Amino acid sequence: MRAYTPKDDVQAKAYYTDRFYVAPQVPKQDVENDEVFAADLAAIKAKFEVSDAYIQVSNMVVYINAKDIYGVLELMRDELDYTQLSEMSAIDWLAKDNTFEIFYQMLSMKKRKRIRVKYFIENGQAVDSVEKLFRCADWSEREMFDMFGIEANNHPFMKRILMPYDWQGNPLLKTYPLEGDEFAAWYEVDKIFGKEARDIIGPEIRDTARVDRYDSERFARLGFEVPKGTEITDDMPRTEQKYQEDDGVFLIKKYDKESSVIVDDPQR
Amino acid sequence: MAQHKVNYTQDGGLPVALTSIDKIVNWGRSNSLWALTYGLACCGIEMMASGASRFDFDRYGTIFRASPRQADVMIVAGTLTKKHAEFIKRLYDQMTEPRWVISMGSCANTGGMFNTYATVQGCDRVIPVDLYLPGCAPRPETLQYGVMLLQQKIRANKAGNAQKSKRLM
Amino acid sequence: MAQVKNRLTPFFENITFDREDNELILNFGPQHPSAHGQLRLMLHLQQEQIVKAHPDVGYLHRGMEKMAENMIYNEFMPTTDRMDYIASSSNNYGFALAVEKLIGLEVPRRAKVIRMMLLEINRLMSHLFWLATTALDIGAMTVFLFAFREREYLMDIIEGYCGARLTHAAIRIGGVPLDIQDNFIIQLKTFLDKLPANIKDYEDLLDTNRIWLMRMEEVGVISTEMALSWGCTGPMLRASGVAWDIRKEEPYELYDEVEFNVPFSDKGDNFARYRIYMQEMRETAKILYQTIEMYETCVANNETALMAHAPQYISAPKIDIMTQNYSLMQHFVLVTQGMRPPVGEVYVPTESPKGELGFFINSQGGPYPYRLKLRAPSFWHTGILTDLLPGHYIPDVVSIIGTTNIVFGEVDR
Repeated sequence: MRAYTPKDDVQAKAYYTDRFYVAPQVPKQDVENDEVFAADLAAIKAKFEVSDAYIQVSNMVVYINAKDIYGVLELMRDELDYTQLSEMSAIDWLAKDNTFEIFYQMLSMKKRKRIRVKYFIENGQAVDSVEKLFRCADWSEREMFDMFGIEANNHPFMKRILMPYDWQGNPLLKTYPLEGDEFAAWYEVDKIFGKEARDIIGPEIRDTARVDRYDSERFARLGFEVPKGTEITDDMPRTEQKYQEDDGVFLIKKYDKESSVIVDDPQR
Repeated sequence: MAQHKVNYTQDGGLPVALTSIDKIVNWGRSNSLWALTYGLACCGIEMMASGASRFDFDRYGTIFRASPRQADVMIVAGTLTKKHAEFIKRLYDQMTEPRWVISMGSCANTGGMFNTYATVQGCDRVIPVDLYLPGCAPRPETLQYGVMLLQQKIRANKAGNAQKSKRLM
Repeated sequence: MAQVKNRLTPFFENITFDREDNELILNFGPQHPSAHGQLRLMLHLQQEQIVKAHPDVGYLHRGMEKMAENMIYNEFMPTTDRMDYIASSSNNYGFALAVEKLIGLEVPRRAKVIRMMLLEINRLMSHLFWLATTALDIGAMTVFLFAFREREYLMDIIEGYCGARLTHAAIRIGGVPLDIQDNFIIQLKTFLDKLPANIKDYEDLLDTNRIWLMRMEEVGVISTEMALSWGCTGPMLRASGVAWDIRKEEPYELYDEVEFNVPFSDKGDNFARYRIYMQEMRETAKILYQTIEMYETCVANNETALMAHAPQYISAPKIDIMTQNYSLMQHFVLVTQGMRPPVGEVYVPTESPKGELGFFINSQGGPYPYRLKLRAPSFWHTGILTDLLPGHYIPDVVSIIGTTNIVFGEVDR
């Protein structure tokens, strides 16, 4: 019997793990160290519940509740001058506690500060769309939906953006294999030729270390190609790189290796 | 690459007896290969560079035409994704015969470094390919040498009106 | 075997028979001659004027973010090359900077100078490419050939440095692996000396050209609110009135030691973006002259380190690997198992030629990132077409797509 491999995270794993290795943490600083961040955090805390806040690599990270996201971003945009939403997406923690972590990366150009607003949602929960505040969330939330299956309420066009419209599966989930499941493997064949063609075209060759005996034979003779079935000896002539046929082409000047000039000067 | 048998003979075609009309027609076809602009990704940039000032493509008689009806050779330059596979087959079907396909770069040959769910592992799963150019991205000189090889292949074959179907499907 | 019919039925997307109004749906398909890649725009037209535009992307989605979750950090570096494939080192640098900030590495000065040189050369390459393709789309093919000629000189320089013309992978996490070769500076100086004359050539051809002005002025006006709301960064944002350049505002590398100006405009139309790109090329030349001097100072001060010294994360220099046993062992472990950065998250923005290129890395201490999100500027620059195109005419679509400088490797990743 083969060993049971849990399927809740099929991404590549380090094959060597050290059970005594304690990973260091990227240092987190207290928000009080920075006045601008402290003032912003106080403004957010005045109206919404903040479960955690710290500064990491000069970004302030603020954890809020999922239902408050529209209000928090509206507050940040209108009062705290965080006028640009640089990035938003999700992180898949389904294997750990069946949640997703959604993050929004905000930028304030006046203050030159960046804040990351994060919250957790359960599997199956939908988020509120902030597309009315920042139009860029339109496409970001579509991408999040495409890649993770997380829907956004009040979104104008909640359809897939990077994958084809009829794709099944959410690629960035940890349960989705890198090389794609069966639907992905036959997608183009099914779509263009139909299921009958699966046998004729054959499965995808995903093995990066595949060695084809005849290919290797030919590859090993790269530069000394001979027709199939020829006896191989040690003194085979090198294949001459021919740009045209030997007896030339009508009206086309014949390439003559001796009379050609190798141009060395890169500034030609 | 697909698992069907590929002909690796040296000059790109079996030596057949060519009549003089064949020779004239092949001469015309090979020296005026109009390419369909099919730059998909980074190899497309190298294709453009090979058509630009330093490595001129015009001296081969190649003009980049955007419409498949006017093109002879489709240079698939770049990654073919599953979303796009349908369109490359459509465009290939819309090309008028005689038509050839050059698969340029690792992504078009075999899917390249992108061994992922969204990449077609080689454009020859979908369309028949005449010439494979290795590289990531292949230098413009590679593309030009590839076009010369294709020209030799065209000149070596009979110039019948109907091209023999090259695909297993 | 005869050609079997396939299942692709013809579909008539651009003719709808069940509408009473004169609206035509035009499919600007995923393959089109305007050399920007695989953009599919569905335009609803009312007699040549666009009433609704729907950009459809994803035709170059290769799953890079998922690849990152399955590859070690160093292994992922060449993949970042293929994001913005016109200026590859910028993406490499963004990723390297993000991992370095995660780990807390300090890169030696000589490596920083070389990185800056590479970044600015890539910026020049990208802007020249932008000029070439935009001019080609609008019809000025001469500028295409001229700009590609300059680009070839730059690619020669980079090829002499790292061996590749287009996809460099020349910047590693912790520094640069190679020192610049002997004639790099000479070639670069020769190029930079000719550059102002070349830029003047392009401007003479285009700046006062009536056709160019008619195609570019007052077309594609992006207001400040729209630019901020859509997440525009880089020249798109600077053309709309916001003077925000990450190299000046949140300086990384040695950008606070070089003097350069950041052009910005408040008109927001195509012509403003065009002028900003041309001016940025000149500013880049200024930066490059200064970096050449900085490099020569480094050589004079005998600072030879090219990679950071952090044996837990970065391999030793090659000469040590080949002669010292522990360096070889550590290098072996780092290559086969990968470096394990600390647990934490980082978002690092850099100013790529297209805009703010950001890398969000969430690491759980393993050799593979737990989540890597690539913030590509062109993603939202394509999205803005939804709001920008209505009201314009079909020829404007081409010039707007040109000046937004979209590259699809970034959009779709």
